[in-house]
Amino acid sequence: MAGQVCIAIRDVYKRYKSAQEDSLSDVSLDIMQSDVFGLLGPNGAGKTTLISILCGIIPVSSGEVQFFNNGAPYSNGERKSRIGFVPQEYAFYQELTPRQNLDYFGAMYNLPKKKLEARREHLLEVLGLEKAADKKVGTFSGGMKRRVNLAIGIIHEPDILFLDEPTVGVDVQSRNAIIRYLQQINQAGTTIVYTSHHMSEAEEFCKNIALIDHGRVIAAGGLQHLKSVHDAGSLQTLFINLTGEEYRD
Amino acid sequence: MFKLYASLRKELLLLINDKVGLALMFLMPLLLVFIITIIQDSAYKMVNENQIPLLVVNHDNGKEGNKLVELLTKSGLFKIDAQDAIPQESLKSELLSRGKMIALYIPATFSAGLESNAEDVSTILMDDLGLERDTAAREKVSMPKLSFYNDPVLQENYSYSVMSVIQSYMSVIENSLMIDRMYANMDIAERSAKLKDKMISNRVGIDQIVARNNNSTAIPNSTQHNVPAWTIFAMFFMVVSLGSNIVKERINGSFLRLKTMPTTFMVVMFSKMAVYVVVAALQVALTFSMGVWILPKLGLPKLSVPDNIVATIAVIFISSMAAVSYALMIGSFAKTEQQANGFGAISIIIFGAIGGILVPTFVMPGFMQFFSNFSPLHWCLEGFYVLFLKGGSWQDLRTVFAFLGIFIVFCQLGTYFKLRLERII
Repeated sequence: MAGQVCIAIRDVYKRYKSAQEDSLSDVSLDIMQSDVFGLLGPNGAGKTTLISILCGIIPVSSGEVQFFNNGAPYSNGERKSRIGFVPQEYAFYQELTPRQNLDYFGAMYNLPKKKLEARREHLLEVLGLEKAADKKVGTFSGGMKRRVNLAIGIIHEPDILFLDEPTVGVDVQSRNAIIRYLQQINQAGTTIVYTSHHMSEAEEFCKNIALIDHGRVIAAGGLQHLKSVHDAGSLQTLFINLTGEEYRD
Repeated sequence: MFKLYASLRKELLLLINDKVGLALMFLMPLLLVFIITIIQDSAYKMVNENQIPLLVVNHDNGKEGNKLVELLTKSGLFKIDAQDAIPQESLKSELLSRGKMIALYIPATFSAGLESNAEDVSTILMDDLGLERDTAAREKVSMPKLSFYNDPVLQENYSYSVMSVIQSYMSVIENSLMIDRMYANMDIAERSAKLKDKMISNRVGIDQIVARNNNSTAIPNSTQHNVPAWTIFAMFFMVVSLGSNIVKERINGSFLRLKTMPTTFMVVMFSKMAVYVVVAALQVALTFSMGVWILPKLGLPKLSVPDNIVATIAVIFISSMAAVSYALMIGSFAKTEQQANGFGAISIIIFGAIGGILVPTFVMPGFMQFFSNFSPLHWCLEGFYVLFLKGGSWQDLRTVFAFLGIFIVFCQLGTYFKLRLERII
């Protein structure tokens, strides 16, 4: 249900072992249910660290992250079943076919065999992978691999989906297919948390954003609201205005 | 259960798709067993079954030289190549040019020297016994020396063995001459035969007994060594397939992705171990079948399977667990696939060399025998030796299980802590 907080991030700090500085510092955000929330920032800003914390891959140094479903907090076990994660890397088996990959990861999400088969065939169809479903993923183009990566992350119909640069390095057709499908599942109620360097894509896709730089949230809120407050005609202008024009390595 | 099934299926599919890994795990041991067994079997036969080629140059002016050659021929140990026309000075070059490993030179004064020595011994004995003897002065000839030539590549202990054989035949000739001379001096020469027979035939015999714990008839031979040895080597070579799989899954984020899922990492690791333990069992089945059914058809010794099947299965299991655990650890520590493959393969070759796979540990110098204790392949091989060659029981396998158990725990803990450090577990 829209309007209710889905993820509450409170005073989160993260410093990696042997690091001199915090990767995340005093991060507090509310992500609403059924939102498409963009975590944007230059390279090294802390976006991937924050997504990794939200997915439970790394722990916070201090602070708290809570997940809610219609106002009720998720239990730990429930949370893992209800979130989906699409990493920036091709995190699957290139020696296997899309069908075999989906079978494996679907089973890891505890999907019953029948439901898994139905979801697998549905995703292969809607993401345009049907014809290549029995070919090894290693032979695929970048766009096809991105679609396989996405299919694995949503095989179990998650309530919350985390996407780390889901369209990096893909052609326009694949990007359109991915964004179109993400919009569909968002309309069906899935909350999406998304990072990208494509400002035009983020502007088209996101409802709310948080701009992160040097591990801190420098602006957060509705996209249109932020543009008008900072007198920026586009997200790209807003981004440059707030993060500067220096190179980030 | 469905998770476990899916995980096992995934591992199996990854394995089937790894053609290089499969070839290394299944074709390599067959080829190694086949080639090395044939090579080593020829070496065994050269010592045990074939006659030793011996070039003999007999320049003796008497009959004792011929007698020695006759005795050596009758022994059946040597294949004599008599080349009396060769002068002693050119014997070295002749030996090398004829491709012979050893040669024996009998000098011209061989018989005369032996007879002179026999006369001296007989004289001393007659004088000590106060018996009359022929006092006519005889020409003294010093004791002759045989010359034994050997190719420098021939192992020293092999040369000593051949010289010992020649020495023992020389004793027969010398004793015979002394008895003949004494009996002749006592004018009873015709009665010497009985004493000579008694002295030659009634010597202390030596029974050779192979130390085994049961009545196993398995004889140490090239097959009994090579089949288990190269099977173990191939088992550990799974590091190339399994190790690089782990590296790939760590690097491409599959492991981290699994961390976001409602599953335990134990399922993943258990599946990997289960599939590769089965692979190891198949490797054993394949190479052992070759040892039992194919090698004998090629004229090689047949593999004798141990009587204690349960202990054999236990040794196969713990050996495969050691190999799997090592591969998991290498896969967890390597930063790239190239590192895992390179370090994994080279470390297995080194472990194999110091562990007695290439040459048995007992021929190694003392300090290398000490280092062999640090090779897991040594303990796996020891387990098979206890079963195959010593007919060992569970009691004898305790040390093997203890050392391999420690190795497995060490590798598993190494893997666990490395994956913990990377926040995968």
